[in-house]
Amino acid sequence: MLSHAPHRLWFSGISDADLHRNPLPPARRWMMALLTLVLSLASPSLHAVSSITVQIGAISSPNFQASDLNLELPLHSGKAVTLKTRLKQADSSWAEASLHCPALENPQAGMWRCRDAKLASPQANGNVSVALQLPVAQQPFKADLQLAAFSFSDRVGLHAGDKLAADVSLQATHDATGWRWQAALDWREGELFWQPFYFASGGHSLHAAGHYSAQALQVDTAQLKLKAVGSADVSGIYNLSGKRIEQLALQTSALDLATLYPLLLKPLLDKTSLNDMEMAGTASLQLAMQAGELQDFRLDLQQADIADRKGKFALYKLQASIPWSYDAAQPIALDYAGGHLLDIPLGAARLRAELERYSLRTPQLVLPILDGALTLNEVSAAWVNQQWHWHLRADLAPISMTELSTALGWPRMEGQVAAAIPQVTYSDGKLATSGAMQFKLFDGTVTVGNLSMQTPLGLTPRLNADVQFRNLDLGALTRTFAFGAIEGRMDGDVNVLQLANWKPVQFDAMFKSSAGRYPRKISQRAVENISALGGAGAAAAVQRSVLRFFKEFNYARIGLTCRLRNSSCAMDGVDGNPAHAPVNNTASGYVIVEGSGVPAITVLGYNHSVGWDELLARLQRITAGNSKPVIQ
Amino acid sequence: MNIKQTLTGFYLFLAVLMVAPITALAAADLEVNTPAISTLKNSMQTRHGQLAAHYGSGAVGLTRDGLIAVRDANAVLLAQRQGVNSLVSAENGDRNALYKEIATANGHPEWEAEVRSTFAQRWVQKAQGGWWYQDASGGWKQK
Repeated sequence: MLSHAPHRLWFSGISDADLHRNPLPPARRWMMALLTLVLSLASPSLHAVSSITVQIGAISSPNFQASDLNLELPLHSGKAVTLKTRLKQADSSWAEASLHCPALENPQAGMWRCRDAKLASPQANGNVSVALQLPVAQQPFKADLQLAAFSFSDRVGLHAGDKLAADVSLQATHDATGWRWQAALDWREGELFWQPFYFASGGHSLHAAGHYSAQALQVDTAQLKLKAVGSADVSGIYNLSGKRIEQLALQTSALDLATLYPLLLKPLLDKTSLNDMEMAGTASLQLAMQAGELQDFRLDLQQADIADRKGKFALYKLQASIPWSYDAAQPIALDYAGGHLLDIPLGAARLRAELERYSLRTPQLVLPILDGALTLNEVSAAWVNQQWHWHLRADLAPISMTELSTALGWPRMEGQVAAAIPQVTYSDGKLATSGAMQFKLFDGTVTVGNLSMQTPLGLTPRLNADVQFRNLDLGALTRTFAFGAIEGRMDGDVNVLQLANWKPVQFDAMFKSSAGRYPRKISQRAVENISALGGAGAAAAVQRSVLRFFKEFNYARIGLTCRLRNSSCAMDGVDGNPAHAPVNNTASGYVIVEGSGVPAITVLGYNHSVGWDELLARLQRITAGNSKPVIQ
Repeated sequence: MNIKQTLTGFYLFLAVLMVAPITALAAADLEVNTPAISTLKNSMQTRHGQLAAHYGSGAVGLTRDGLIAVRDANAVLLAQRQGVNSLVSAENGDRNALYKEIATANGHPEWEAEVRSTFAQRWVQKAQGGWWYQDASGGWKQK
């Protein structure tokens, strides 16, 4: 074997400062160095030398440092090549990195090949086979890369792959203005996490062809295939100097929503109400961009089922055709066979509207609900600052309370609910209404006014309203809630009601016997229960007295007020006014039931302040305890 | 009342005015409970079981603004990193809502920033040894 002294090229301590002194940008300068090296290798004039050793003391940039770089390049085909260095990324510690090619082949001028090169470093390791054809002697540039058992990760681990097997190829021919190129990526195996997306396995591919110049990257055709999801065809022009998309056309096949949602949609919808869904059916999308702006798109859903996993809402057998154009108004159509919203069942609906640039309009949307329907009239919506703002008029055709109470899991109630709301607005997550919703319940009326809601589908929904109860039949009411029989009628006002997460946090409530003539009787059980609301002592007092021999008493007035603030209910009786905090005189009681005639009973309350949770617990014990008859 | 007394009284008044905002905050009830707060706390409590392992491994750390962040996902299997991301973003959603709710429940929505910074300190104090947190300059430190 001929022994020649190897050439040694020394670079020592190349730093940013050195690079900055050079007028060429660093990337360009490295390219130049590499090119010079590569070209000198391709040249036949170096026959007398057996190998070149390149040693570099240190390379540094703000995020990256390398030291003790050592590269041994043989100048004869078929010999091993080894590159070793020490690497350091930002604040991590130094680590060894090496690339070893068992045999670097040079079968023809400008062609270099290496099978099963081993790359080992903290950021990437695995087997790499590479074949490189340099653009010399009228040959096109060609690079074929095969990765096997390849893993990589950035420092924080938000872009990482494991056990990847993939083929990458790139071919390019120089023309008058740049390069005509063809590229292919065939990802066969392995998993990849590219924040926020995760691909558990391979089977995906990308084939593309186009032109590259200093001004623009042009994609004439590109086909992306995602296993088990579908495919997309893309073409376009990206302006490299202006950094914008000049043209883009995208057309997908019918994509399987069941696989598309977890792979691509869920990560993108992470911060929305659609972040925990289950989907089925297909979706297809077509879109075009011009000069950096969306020009038109068309989204079609076929036989789609979408359901929130937490049960907040669902739509089934959804068919949608949503075309959109920057220039012209487009009719959109959305049909579904059924669904539910916050436990309220929705019937089949056919919705039609007109979409004009960033606004939506329709004269009427009818949403069947149970045996009635919610009709939305003169609907207009606008997409402003990445949010929808709605404005409409709503009418609720009567829904039977029997069905609604069953659907909501409430005690079964007779009656119906209807509403006429002249104005509903939804903006910035807040739903506000003017007008009133009227429930016909227990032979009386319940009116809900000044209703507003905040983030009804969020984690902490909030509701504000004023509620009026008029002339409710206490007989029907006490039977429904198993409270113990009371005969008579009642009015109530629950003002400044605020629910957070559907639980009361504030109200001024007052319930009193309605005015007018009607039979007024209260059972022993109801008396005990009312007393028990104020604590155990009062109930015991009634039982011990002679009054326990009577099953029923006459009364003149019943009244109870509660002002709820800070989880505590300030209570008062028939003469109370919840709008003002009661005088905190614990010594004197207040009248809850004012007796009249014979036998008469008067129930006094002594508890001026009761914890709301305690009050609810007492109510629950009472209604649960009374669901079975008590024999005395 | 002589003039000296009047002046002293005036200075005292000024001092009270200046100290008032601080003492007012000191009076903020961080343990205040509303249905929204207890929903948020329950939701965070449930999630904590899943997050604890990630605090322990250093994958997730406590940030100086009372939230949490993915610090080094390499400690987590690739298949679970998306899950960690979702946990972190859900937890931060709850934490932001919690600070707002506590300030609102105290009747002072403008206290949100102070509630947040008090909680940021609390989370670090309550953290177990080995967990990572951000110091005042934003650098990661191990407790």
